Amino acid sequence: MAQSSPLDVLLKGSSGQSTRGLLRIIILVTIAAAAVASRLFSVIRFESIIHEFDPWFNFRATKYLVQNGFYSFWDWFDDRTWHPLGRVTGGTLYPGLMVTSGVIYHILRFLTIPVDIRNVCVLLAPGFSGLTALAMYLLTCEMSTSPSAGLLAAAFMGIAPGYISRSVAGSYDNEAIAIFLLVFTFFLWIKAVKNGSIMWGALTALFYGYMVSAWGGYVFITNLIPLHVFVLLCMGRYSSRVYISYTTWYALGTLGSMQIPFVGFLPIRNSDHMSALGVFGLIQLVAFADFVRGFLPGKQFQKLLTSMILLTVGLGFGGLILLSISGVIAPWSGRFYSLWDTGYAKIHIPIIASVSEHQPTAWPAFFFDLNFLIWLFPAGVFMCFQNLKDEHVFVIIYAVLSSYFAGVMVRLMLTLTPIVCVAAALALSGILDNFLVMTKPNPESRAKATVEDSKSLRPTRDPVVGIYSYFSKTVVTCSISLYLLLFVAHCTWVTSNAYSSPSVVLASRMPDGSQFIIDDYREAYYWLRQNTPDNAKIMSWWDYGYQIGGMADRPTLVDNNTWNNTHIATVGKAMSSREEVSYPILRQHDVDYVLVVFGGLLGYSGDDLNKFLWMVRIAEGIWPDEVKERDFFTARGEYRVDEEATPAMRNSLMYKMSYFNYQSLFPTGQAVDRVRGTSVPADSPQLNTLEEAFTSENWIIRIYKVKDLDNFGRDHNNAVAFDKGLKRKRASKKKGPRVLRTE
Amino acid sequence: MRWCLALFLCCFLAAVNALSSSGSRLLVVLDESTDKSLYSTLWSDLEGRGYDVSFKSPKSDKLSLFQHGERAYDHLLILPPKSKGLGPNLTPKNILDFLSKDGNIVLALSGKASTSSAISSLLLEIDIHLSNDRSAVVVDHFNYDTVSAAEKHDVLLLQRPGQLRSDVKAFFDGEGILALPRVAPQTLSSDSALVVPILQAPATAYAYNPKEEMPAAEDIEATGSQLNVVSAMQARNSARFTVLGSVEALEDKWFSASVKAPGGKTTPTVNREFAKQLTAWTFKETGVLKVGKIEHHLATDGEVAAEDLNPKIYRIKNETVFSIEISEYAYDKWVPFEVPGEDELQLEFTMLSPFHRLALEPTSRTETSTVYSTQFVTPDQHGIFSFRINYKRPFLTNIEEKHEVTVRHFAHDEYPRSWAISGGWVWIAGLWSVIGGFLAFVIVWLYSAPAADKVKKTQ
Repeated sequence: MAQSSPLDVLLKGSSGQSTRGLLRIIILVTIAAAAVASRLFSVIRFESIIHEFDPWFNFRATKYLVQNGFYSFWDWFDDRTWHPLGRVTGGTLYPGLMVTSGVIYHILRFLTIPVDIRNVCVLLAPGFSGLTALAMYLLTCEMSTSPSAGLLAAAFMGIAPGYISRSVAGSYDNEAIAIFLLVFTFFLWIKAVKNGSIMWGALTALFYGYMVSAWGGYVFITNLIPLHVFVLLCMGRYSSRVYISYTTWYALGTLGSMQIPFVGFLPIRNSDHMSALGVFGLIQLVAFADFVRGFLPGKQFQKLLTSMILLTVGLGFGGLILLSISGVIAPWSGRFYSLWDTGYAKIHIPIIASVSEHQPTAWPAFFFDLNFLIWLFPAGVFMCFQNLKDEHVFVIIYAVLSSYFAGVMVRLMLTLTPIVCVAAALALSGILDNFLVMTKPNPESRAKATVEDSKSLRPTRDPVVGIYSYFSKTVVTCSISLYLLLFVAHCTWVTSNAYSSPSVVLASRMPDGSQFIIDDYREAYYWLRQNTPDNAKIMSWWDYGYQIGGMADRPTLVDNNTWNNTHIATVGKAMSSREEVSYPILRQHDVDYVLVVFGGLLGYSGDDLNKFLWMVRIAEGIWPDEVKERDFFTARGEYRVDEEATPAMRNSLMYKMSYFNYQSLFPTGQAVDRVRGTSVPADSPQLNTLEEAFTSENWIIRIYKVKDLDNFGRDHNNAVAFDKGLKRKRASKKKGPRVLRTE
Repeated sequence: MRWCLALFLCCFLAAVNALSSSGSRLLVVLDESTDKSLYSTLWSDLEGRGYDVSFKSPKSDKLSLFQHGERAYDHLLILPPKSKGLGPNLTPKNILDFLSKDGNIVLALSGKASTSSAISSLLLEIDIHLSNDRSAVVVDHFNYDTVSAAEKHDVLLLQRPGQLRSDVKAFFDGEGILALPRVAPQTLSSDSALVVPILQAPATAYAYNPKEEMPAAEDIEATGSQLNVVSAMQARNSARFTVLGSVEALEDKWFSASVKAPGGKTTPTVNREFAKQLTAWTFKETGVLKVGKIEHHLATDGEVAAEDLNPKIYRIKNETVFSIEISEYAYDKWVPFEVPGEDELQLEFTMLSPFHRLALEPTSRTETSTVYSTQFVTPDQHGIFSFRINYKRPFLTNIEEKHEVTVRHFAHDEYPRSWAISGGWVWIAGLWSVIGGFLAFVIVWLYSAPAADKVKKTQ
């Protein structure tokens, strides 16, 4: 066995260790590179462009930060959104993302690397996903002694579609850096709990603070760590390690999080944060009890403990209720309620329910986003029970909580992905470690080694467990490799097909298979940029607010930061009312242009008419007497846009703007709406107070200009009729006495 | 050198446009059959005031109000055509387009013949109504000229109009009697803010169609001062449109006639003077307001530096000064504008609805303008506000100014520091006492421990 082959020099002894270390580094770097590379589909296929909606705001804010410096960013009052209310942007955003890319930009500039801020923003998410893979390696290494678990977890994390969905190049959103921070904070926390070290606890707090500055999902950490500690306490695992790490983290982390203006005093006032405070109080009591236990006999201590627990729980619960009722502690936020009751948002807060990523997850999505990890996941969690240390308790809690949340909200799949990777890696590494070993277990030598220790029965002392046959080893190894390969193929396919579309630019296939790029959004936004005055106010549904702000650089009425429900409802009312009602609203808000998205010609289903019911619902929430959802359904309860559409529907501004002149594209009477799959009334709706200003190539975006008041004091109906050459009837035909001027 | 040239050019332009504030090209539309010389005094008066008068027949092919998409004339004087309409080049739409492009129009009507339906529908668009059969004449049995209309009583004798309301300037007042033969009356509905009566018929007047029987009492549409002899419409872009009920009043004959009211003395008419007032107002020689500088800035003692003028952004609770310079055109020069006695020039500071509505006071006066200003504190509400002045009065051109400014929140370093708030001292004391207590504890802890060791060591 001890023949010295050239490989042995590298694989055994101290040089073998360094060789493995080197290999490990190389593997990790390769994983990081793969993670970055697999996120570049959209850049290669389209161009280096910011995706979707929210990233456009982050991009705009980053540009502002880079141009005006940190302090004016901090005090930024944005007068180009939420016209005419404006938005105290500096105090209502999570600045972590922008500051991160601003710092990167300035460092690169300092190193005289000429780089465009847009490219920094586009490539930030892939860059950080590489770091996430590394952080995942560190986290998993804390869970398992197996050398392969960390590497496997890193590899899974690098390419799992559940994470890629939010971190492709151009997806410049808070999650881009937040997932890295989440994983890394958890790693530091585990490290702190293991070592009971103030340093690791403080580092946890530091990265927690960074996380708070980057993403609203920090609440997940705020609740998960206390829960971990709470469970440990309940399991009777109190130790000074837990005490030191938790108190350090809580004190420093809370102070750190309060430095973010948007968070402010929430950590001590909001119910979402109360569990951390409660556990902080509890651990003080437990520490005190632990301290007292040294001085008291067991029985008295038991009594003292029970009475203390009862007293604290009673006091704490009563205090919480009292403070909640008196309003000192803010009630649970609406998004939080919708986590427990999936029907809550639809009834009470339509604006939250109207966002697609807040919908409950469909079951296939789990397989789609995680592939075979999802069935390794329970196995990994089970393996944590076998070797139940403090950190494994953490994995179990995390797994249970995030599985629930991921089932409730699509976007929380993102927080599930890390723990799935950890658990799956634990399970898989267990399999591989057992099946990849070439040597057979030698029962003889084992038995000899343990024979001295013969106080208990032999079989129970050390059962001989091992895999002997090469065949079973080969089969298992091959099938696992096959699964891994399939996983890579699946990830690549999903990334390439589902998650790499910028959604600003749409791609479709022509009948002959060639690619057809639909670039209507940018066409329309650049039209606005080139053809309208710098401060022309654009009204559109809030989905497009950030894009108009970012690409067209024009003030908008509402945008994706849905902080003012009434203002959104105002826009909803203007869209869903008759022209006579809408026009004064448009005038009052200084609207110059109205933008609608219409997919009827192309069959683009994400258009405004399909979102129209949300506009109606949100408007109805504020003006139940003026806008009624029922009016938009036919007597048989159908949502129709054809000849049988209800009068409220056909007179609404949204309907008119969508179908204005659409009929002219078709032979008479054959106009078809390809999204809703119905015919369209033969006559074009008549618009009096708006005039068509622009329609994009595929009719996806239609822009209308709001007319000024008539120069001669007529109402727009009459003015349009006059321009068409219709004779006006004399006003004296009206009933009732005429009022003539005599002054 | 360059500004010398500019100044010279300005003087030159000023000399050319000595009269109207909006150009001097005047087109008179009159039928070929109508004798131009009937109105020779009017033409010479207009030419004397600096207008380039050109004459065109409504049927002429060359008649076009626009050339290359721009107005070909600044003003239009339309005499009633004998034929049915104004022809294909003066459709109601053309005329409204002309108004929309800031042209001004005087339309004269006549009670002698019925007015064409084209004109009637044009007037309908701007909310001036003619009688149903379009051929009514105003008759007054108490204020008629006994010299020329002893039988028909259809030559009205009227005083020149005074102030319309107490807060409105009078542009048509003066002594003397107007003679208005055969007036085609107009009525105005009360809900249009753009039309104003200039001259109303006396309370004893009524309208009827001389070719028909007297209508039944319930069919009479309007009587007395509901009937307008001269009315005007000023569009939102301040283009003016005047309807004169009696074209004959402009004839030379009536410029110099002597008239005698029943039971009165024989007096010469002041038609010529009134025609001047009427055309001067319509063609923007009077009642034209011009906004000069608009300035707003933070209230400071002393001069405001140029870079601090008209900032784009204010903070909440800023003390702000707003001023606007307004001139009025009076026949041939700009003069300082004075707000009529009971009226007020108001400034609104608006976001969705006005947060402030303040009267602007005249603070200084230059040779050609008055500066109105006011000072106020921006409201405790951030947002995009606008300074708005919406001054629309009869006979004066509209002032509609809107200047957007942003009102921002307090920046993080603009709040008072904690030690400056006496209520915060409790918390500061608490803070420092904890720090001090902790330090004291650490010191005590550090320096009290070794005593026990010493005992052990000595053992």
